[in-house]
Amino acid sequence: MAGRPTPGCLSDLEMESEEPTEVEMSSCFLDEETFCQCCQLLLQHSHSLCDGWSWEQVKGSEGYLRKTALGTGRTRCILDQQGNSSDQHQERTFSLSFHNDEDDEDDGAVCCIQEESSSSSVVQYEYHILYSCSYQTPVLYFRASTLEGRSLCLEEVWDSVHPNYRQRLQHRPWDTITQQEHPLLGQSFFVLHPCRTEEFMMPVLKAALEEHRQVNYIVTWLSVVGPVVGLDVPLSYCTQVPEPPHTPSSSPQPPSSSPQPPSSSPQPPSSSPQPPSSSPQPPSSSPQPPSSSPQPPSSSPQPPALGTKPG
Amino acid sequence: MSANAESPTETQKDEPSTPQQPTEDSGTADEKKKIDVLLKAVGDTPIMKTKKWSVEKGRTVQSLSQFISRFLKMEANEQLFIYVNQSFSPSPDQEVGVLFECFGSDGKLVLHYCKSQAWG
Repeated sequence: MAGRPTPGCLSDLEMESEEPTEVEMSSCFLDEETFCQCCQLLLQHSHSLCDGWSWEQVKGSEGYLRKTALGTGRTRCILDQQGNSSDQHQERTFSLSFHNDEDDEDDGAVCCIQEESSSSSVVQYEYHILYSCSYQTPVLYFRASTLEGRSLCLEEVWDSVHPNYRQRLQHRPWDTITQQEHPLLGQSFFVLHPCRTEEFMMPVLKAALEEHRQVNYIVTWLSVVGPVVGLDVPLSYCTQVPEPPHTPSSSPQPPSSSPQPPSSSPQPPSSSPQPPSSSPQPPSSSPQPPSSSPQPPSSSPQPPALGTKPG
Repeated sequence: MSANAESPTETQKDEPSTPQQPTEDSGTADEKKKIDVLLKAVGDTPIMKTKKWSVEKGRTVQSLSQFISRFLKMEANEQLFIYVNQSFSPSPDQEVGVLFECFGSDGKLVLHYCKSQAWG
């Protein structure tokens, strides 16, 4: 109709060009292929450090990173070393553990029920890094047990969180660490909730996008979440582990038909190659090529194909 | 870059809240060395009026984080994240001196910080 005002197309276009939020949002999340690539690159550096990470494949489809380590935690000890009340305590303990054996559960509940003292002790941790399709982020699952093999209960895990994060966790513990079934193994694990991952990943990813460089999502993510639950991430990960090959989201590139064999220290060609060492080295400041013209896959070292198990 | 040079390098301002390191008087020259740290806010996080700080090399990231949190008067339900090179987060137990050696440039260590309402 003649009197009908034209829709504000021009202003819409202007808004689109000013705020590439769509690009930003897509780059804040991690697709599964990039997850695997980042994990493999992390794994290679782990091998060179003997840091203990391994890749576990489940039924040839999904895989995850795994590592066991000793750390410290706050565990609650049964007061059975007292003089007079030891018998009573021992009886109570026995009946409780008997009850738990019947139920075929880990006896983590034994220590939580009684009045006992909390102390710092050596804890055996097992960490798993899985990919969450629903959150499109990695998720950290972990188990914790004393050296005697007793699983820590949830409260003990909360008490064992690094002091830097403890205040925030104590404010809303159920939002942070809970127990869930491991998606691939079906066993009870503690899990660090992934729902706010994008909040702490956003500053890094945004800066990388603006500076036309890549980051290794897993390394960055692990550097944030690892220390919360006692997982040490040596500094060299942040300097030595390369980023995955850039794949533009608009036009997905087909996977390389000739995967190169894994080398002990893959480095992108634009940065000066540095031998992996335990002492952290300053990163090279050479910028990555702009994202609008991605490098062809053949010029940059490819991480090993998913099917191959490294090391 | 936000190199607001109107704030001179503050010294010892970040000490009172942490009684853990009273040894600066008896340390050797190396131990007493301080490094310059430039703090940059990310996103909606409040900008500190004084951005450049002189921090002892042995100070941990956690200690610095606590200082920033108190300086910004953060609530108990808020978490501070610190980034190096805008590419990773240093471990809370890491010493700032080590970070400076690896990632310092132009005689200072640039750290970005971000406040988050929730964890999880």
